[in-house]
Amino acid sequence: MAPRRRLFRLGFGRPGPGRQVDWEIEHYLVEQTERLMAEGWTAEEARREAERRFGGLARQRRRIVTVDWTEHAMRTGAAWWGGIRSGVAQAIRRIRRSPGFVAGIVLTLGLGIGVNGTMFGIVDRLLLRPPEGVAHPEQVRRILWRGMWLGRQGTIPALTYSDVVDLRTVPQFLSVGAFTSTRRLTLGSGEGATEVRAVLATADFFTTLGAHAQLGRVYTTKEDAIGDASTVVLGNEFWRRRFGGDPDVLGRTLEIAGNAYTVIGIMPRGFTGVDLTPVDVWLPAVVARHAMDSSDRFLTSRGYYWLQAVVRVSDEASAVAGSAAATALIVNARTDQVRRGQYDANTRVFTAPLLAARGPRASATSKVALWLAGVALAVLLIACANVANLFLAQGARRRREVAVRLSLGVTRSRLVAELSIEAVLLAGLGGVVALAVARWGGSLIRTLLIPDVLWQGSGLDGRVLAVTAALSVGAGLLAGLGPAVRSARGNLNRDLLEGGRGSSAGGSPVRRGLTVMQAALSVVLLVGAGLFVRSLHRAANADLGLDTNRLVLASLEFNDPALSVTRDAAEVNRLYAEAIERVRSVPGVTGAAATDVPFQSEMIAHLTLPGVDSLPVSPGTGPFYYSVTPGYFRTIGLRVLRGRAILDSDGASVPKVALVNENMARTLWPTKQALGQCLYFDHQTECTTVVGVVENASTGDLDDTGALAYYLPLSQTGYAAEGLYVRTDRDPQVVAAAVAPVLRSFSPAVRYAQVQSLGEILAPQLRSWTLGASLFTAFGGLALLVAVVGLYSLLAFEVAQRRRDIGIRSALGASGGRLLRETLSRGAALAALGTLIGLAICLLAAPYVQQLLFHTDARDPLVLVVVVGVLLAVSGLASVPPALRSARTDPIEALRVE
Amino acid sequence: MRDTPLSPIPGTLELLILRTLGAGSEMHGFAILEWIHQSTDDALIVEDGALYHALHRMERRRWVDSDWGISEKGRRARYYRISPEGRRVLAAEEERWSRYVEAVGKIAPREAGT
Repeated sequence: MAPRRRLFRLGFGRPGPGRQVDWEIEHYLVEQTERLMAEGWTAEEARREAERRFGGLARQRRRIVTVDWTEHAMRTGAAWWGGIRSGVAQAIRRIRRSPGFVAGIVLTLGLGIGVNGTMFGIVDRLLLRPPEGVAHPEQVRRILWRGMWLGRQGTIPALTYSDVVDLRTVPQFLSVGAFTSTRRLTLGSGEGATEVRAVLATADFFTTLGAHAQLGRVYTTKEDAIGDASTVVLGNEFWRRRFGGDPDVLGRTLEIAGNAYTVIGIMPRGFTGVDLTPVDVWLPAVVARHAMDSSDRFLTSRGYYWLQAVVRVSDEASAVAGSAAATALIVNARTDQVRRGQYDANTRVFTAPLLAARGPRASATSKVALWLAGVALAVLLIACANVANLFLAQGARRRREVAVRLSLGVTRSRLVAELSIEAVLLAGLGGVVALAVARWGGSLIRTLLIPDVLWQGSGLDGRVLAVTAALSVGAGLLAGLGPAVRSARGNLNRDLLEGGRGSSAGGSPVRRGLTVMQAALSVVLLVGAGLFVRSLHRAANADLGLDTNRLVLASLEFNDPALSVTRDAAEVNRLYAEAIERVRSVPGVTGAAATDVPFQSEMIAHLTLPGVDSLPVSPGTGPFYYSVTPGYFRTIGLRVLRGRAILDSDGASVPKVALVNENMARTLWPTKQALGQCLYFDHQTECTTVVGVVENASTGDLDDTGALAYYLPLSQTGYAAEGLYVRTDRDPQVVAAAVAPVLRSFSPAVRYAQVQSLGEILAPQLRSWTLGASLFTAFGGLALLVAVVGLYSLLAFEVAQRRRDIGIRSALGASGGRLLRETLSRGAALAALGTLIGLAICLLAAPYVQQLLFHTDARDPLVLVVVVGVLLAVSGLASVPPALRSARTDPIEALRVE
Repeated sequence: MRDTPLSPIPGTLELLILRTLGAGSEMHGFAILEWIHQSTDDALIVEDGALYHALHRMERRRWVDSDWGISEKGRRARYYRISPEGRRVLAAEEERWSRYVEAVGKIAPREAGT
């Protein structure tokens, strides 16, 4: 018909089917109206008549559009399917052609995805998944209470046995179970004795959790009563490790902490109760407690907090109502304590979700792990940015190829599909690498950094696999889609003419932005690493008042119940004295002393001063007493500041003496000399004279700021020793290994000796910082590496792209030095901008990180300065090779390449 | 204005369009419509929208191709042209149609064709 020009090229910019149908209908209506008006209709009538003749606008439109959408979908589907096929083919071709490029992408994405898979596996276990073997975990809640505890406001799980009995009467609690934290107990005796991790739990602990034995059965409430036969249920992992999974172990008798227990059941795999720490043996709480402690104060006293509780409730409302009832019961039972000011009347009982990590007592380790999961995402972002950069560079180089294909009629959407598929495929290969990273990296982190959690399987479960797969696809699209669209959008004519050479403009603004982002994220991660390293350093070297790096702790267990349960003090102390003698002859030992207070415990006794009715006593800050043998202060590394230490001559028959610490001296006698003052200890009428002042010491908690404490000669208090400190002049682990056999064999009365270096005992307290420091450093280093490689490749690419310009300028007399400086300053500018943004992010995030650090400011200037220095230095180094290349450009070479 | 039109026998409209485009030129929907109205004396088409529906169905079957362009009146219009596939269909259908008309003609009373 009539001549016309085309509206769209190649169909790429053609609007969707709906729009096209609207245009077409509109065209009909306009033409028809015009024709009708020519026949004499008025404009309005003509339009109405046109619509009538078309026949139901909406209905017709719908019919036509439906036809088109099927068409459209088929066409797009075909394009994508073609894209997938040729994308796969492309990717395979490329792997063959440039294995280096592919290896770079696969490795970068693999590491990025892998650290995420790893961290997801860890966070999943710590925070997301309920403990194994618990039926309907959403109904099970922990009992906690909020109130004053040891002089501080706290959220506490500890309960007395009487409290648990009270909880059982609360009607809203369908079931109540009680358990202790994990403790180390001796298994067997003599040479072959070892230690097991034991939890004492009531029989209804298992019923509350809905947990059953995998083999045999768990003990009943009837079996958990004083005087009944002792039974034990084994943890599955312990059973397999120790007994090779032999079912005949049922009915056998194990000697645990000197008492005989009959094995009646094996728990299922992975069962650890409500915490995640591995448990070797489950002991009936009342029976086992009674065997260790002859008195029954643990059953009746309201001051003996040795249990925690879980309850099963039907819903949230009954949990709240039950908590209120429990609060009333527990506070009313302590009216005497409240009146004496020994108990906080405002104590409130409440329930919390099962995972300690989720509740108000979230462990520091799980908080740090959550942060690290976020950090892992940042690493992946950096990796994606790098890969996107590589694709962009690749796209710029392949511009001519793309132009040729476009001119041959390949649609742009198909090109985009093809390039994205290629990226996703490469990311998929990265995902395979990531699985290896998650497998090995995961088990490394688990065993080295979070050893006190029972991990299940290899760490590659379905959830980790799913997350890894999703991240692979996501990362592939994130890194590949942008560059793909960009490369398919190229200018056909220019690209065909200029080919891969490219102009000086290039695709650089985007790439520069990505590089800046990488630098910024690297700064953030490195600052995090620095903060955790400093926290760890400070925590590990925290001044506990005792020399943590040189001490070994030991305690003796005895065969004779008279020694182990009723503590015949004279005999116990004689054996400890003999132990001290024996230990002193072990090579590496420079001193040894005993005390009646186990490490990380506090003891309070009645104490008065002449003329003073009561002391300013508070349960959190002492005064705590320690009965110690001579040499104690020298051994643990406490300095005597004034007066004298405890001597051999301070025996039972001479006047009683004491040393007080600085805090106590200042609190009791703010205006007087402490030396020579008189104390009435433990209702005695005889004066105990202060003969010395020692420096403050922590009770073993890193955050402790030092309580009031006083020290008495063990020979004068007559209490039984509970522990032994051994000072060494070499690696305490080595000395501990040498001391252990000596202590376990020097007397037939000794059944076993627990020996550990102080470092080992304190390690769990350092764990969150160790975890943070190690992984932040690893991730930060990885991020820095990836970012620097990114900066290098960007600069190298720009220099290569601008080769002709540089050649021209060089020919016109620009000196090599000037060209060198230009590239260097371009790199420096990018790094500096990234650093600034990174620092801004750090300052914004500082308040949130602060709570995870130990005595370290989240804006620690040293850390910030060092990180900035490192980043600028390393990025400077990365700019040097491209800068040199630019300076050495031979103008003749550069201009001849055309 | 018009006599009561025949309801189009299924496939007739497509055949008419193919025949219209078969002359070889590109036409937009309204032009095709006018051409058919004129050549059939407004007898065959009930609703003008049906023609567009048919055009789209035919495009899906690859009997016609389309492109957007500017009409002689300067308006944005969608132009259709017959495809090689469409030509094959046209040839086959014309032959089938003439055999059909022939067969009907043998048994039907003379007045049948208005």
